[in-house]
Amino acid sequence: MDIKVTESERTLVLRKPQKAARMAAEMKAIAYLLPFLIPFAVFYLWPVWRGAWMSLHVWSIQGMQKFVGLANYKKIFTDSDFYLYLWHSFYFVILNVPSVIILGLLLALLINQKIWFRTAIRSVFFLPYVLSVSVVSFIWLRLFDSKYGPINAFLKMIGVPGDFHWLTDKNLAWWAITMSTDWWTVGFVMVLFLAGLQEIPTDHYEAAKIDGAGAWKQFWHITLPGLSRVMKIQVFYQVIAGLKLFGQVQIMTGGGPGDSTNTMIRYIYVTGFKKDMFGLASAQSIVFCLIMLLIAVLQFKLTDSKD
Amino acid sequence: MKRWVLNVIAVLLALLFIFPLIWMLLVSLKPDGVNVYTLKDWITFSDLQLGNYVKVITSSQILRWTWNSTLIGLITTVISLLFSSLAAFTFSKMPFKSKGLFYVLIASGLLIPTEAILIPLYETTLHLKLIDNIWAIILPGLTNPIGILLLKQFMDGVPKDYIEAAQIDGCPSSGLWWRICLPLTKSALVSVGIFYFILSWNNFLWPYLSITSQENMILSAGLPTFLSNNIMSLNMIMAASAIAAIPTIIVFIVLQRHIVQGVAMSGIKG
Repeated sequence: MDIKVTESERTLVLRKPQKAARMAAEMKAIAYLLPFLIPFAVFYLWPVWRGAWMSLHVWSIQGMQKFVGLANYKKIFTDSDFYLYLWHSFYFVILNVPSVIILGLLLALLINQKIWFRTAIRSVFFLPYVLSVSVVSFIWLRLFDSKYGPINAFLKMIGVPGDFHWLTDKNLAWWAITMSTDWWTVGFVMVLFLAGLQEIPTDHYEAAKIDGAGAWKQFWHITLPGLSRVMKIQVFYQVIAGLKLFGQVQIMTGGGPGDSTNTMIRYIYVTGFKKDMFGLASAQSIVFCLIMLLIAVLQFKLTDSKD
Repeated sequence: MKRWVLNVIAVLLALLFIFPLIWMLLVSLKPDGVNVYTLKDWITFSDLQLGNYVKVITSSQILRWTWNSTLIGLITTVISLLFSSLAAFTFSKMPFKSKGLFYVLIASGLLIPTEAILIPLYETTLHLKLIDNIWAIILPGLTNPIGILLLKQFMDGVPKDYIEAAQIDGCPSSGLWWRICLPLTKSALVSVGIFYFILSWNNFLWPYLSITSQENMILSAGLPTFLSNNIMSLNMIMAASAIAAIPTIIVFIVLQRHIVQGVAMSGIKG
């Protein structure tokens, strides 16, 4: 109470010093943001701006060569490789997102039951997520080895006929990459679903039981709607992560066989760092970035209209 | 009956999940050229030895990479936590006019992933003469705004009375941050910190591009160089993978409760 009185007195009497005080508070707040803002400006804002500028030029690792306007963009849209690699990135999303989400949901439902060694089993499912992409890719590269890999050994043992060249067969390579990615990231999906499951009030289930709803009905009418928020976040996150695929491809297949597993990011990487065409690669990055933003906006619109 | 089936499924799935790691360990412990292929190989333990580990450690800089990964991870995490929590505190507890503007500016950092600014980021780093320097990995690692957004939510939960009481006692705003808000959001800081560390430890693409010499590499970017190295046998490559994986696995086992919580929190709110 006392404070309020003095404050209003101050506004009446000392208008000028108060303005200065507000200015000082403003400066102080900004000063507190600066430690974060400085690296943020240098290593995020500036590169975003710089990338747009570079995309209008012929540019190499030595520096700018000449201004070419939108020629780089024209080159991208007339390059059939661009559409192919874009399709590859989306193809991976189509394979990976449903598989990792369904598998993650099943594992979460399983762990949510009263099973033996619940914590230990949950940890086992989550463990691959903390490994780095190179370790994961190294292990699966060898597991999928067509001659000495244990996966083919197992298939042979149970009597599956034929040779599987997982990483050198155009059709199988994407499945191999999807399987290893699922193994790597499904634990993350599971943990988020588990957190979501715990938010569903138990009395909903009890009420459903009294109404005589079976397990399937309960899942369909209570569990799934209860998880819708987590589901949206998951799909959103996994689609973006899928579009950014690079490490697994770079290590396991090198974009091959041929260029059948080349993705958008690898396209940018090869153009920029292997062919030394920074300008063109910047333009590719911007196109890629706009596509991702478009997908993000689309997802927001779609999930919003459902509510 | 039904419970029994679920239990068996869970255990079998867990075995399936851990099988790649067991296989990696087993192959890494077999002598050069010996594979784990048939069932008999799986249960032969007489020939296990540590020779591959010795060879990998002496013929490459893998221990150095492990050290670099740890160091970079720790520096990135500590600095990020300090800067992010200070910014989160400013947004949550300090009234200022341009708050909205700065908040939107910082949140825009979530829009564009590093993958989309690789080329200009490389150019910037080149100009700053930081290529092949561990700061080339650390500094861009400090720009992730997710920590600010998460920590702000927790700072919002710090009661106003505490802040006002401290202000009346003459506590400066830096003290409000350091002595009141930080201790009260400790568990959130731990979770966000773990999230940052995992992110840094597993960062692949940018270190892969920005580090060129063997001695400055980090584990995730250094391992793939073994692939182009023809002297490395399958067993040695698996030993190298195991060296990279084992510290992570141990840390995970020790901190698993925090890690799972931290990831769930960052994932759901982020």
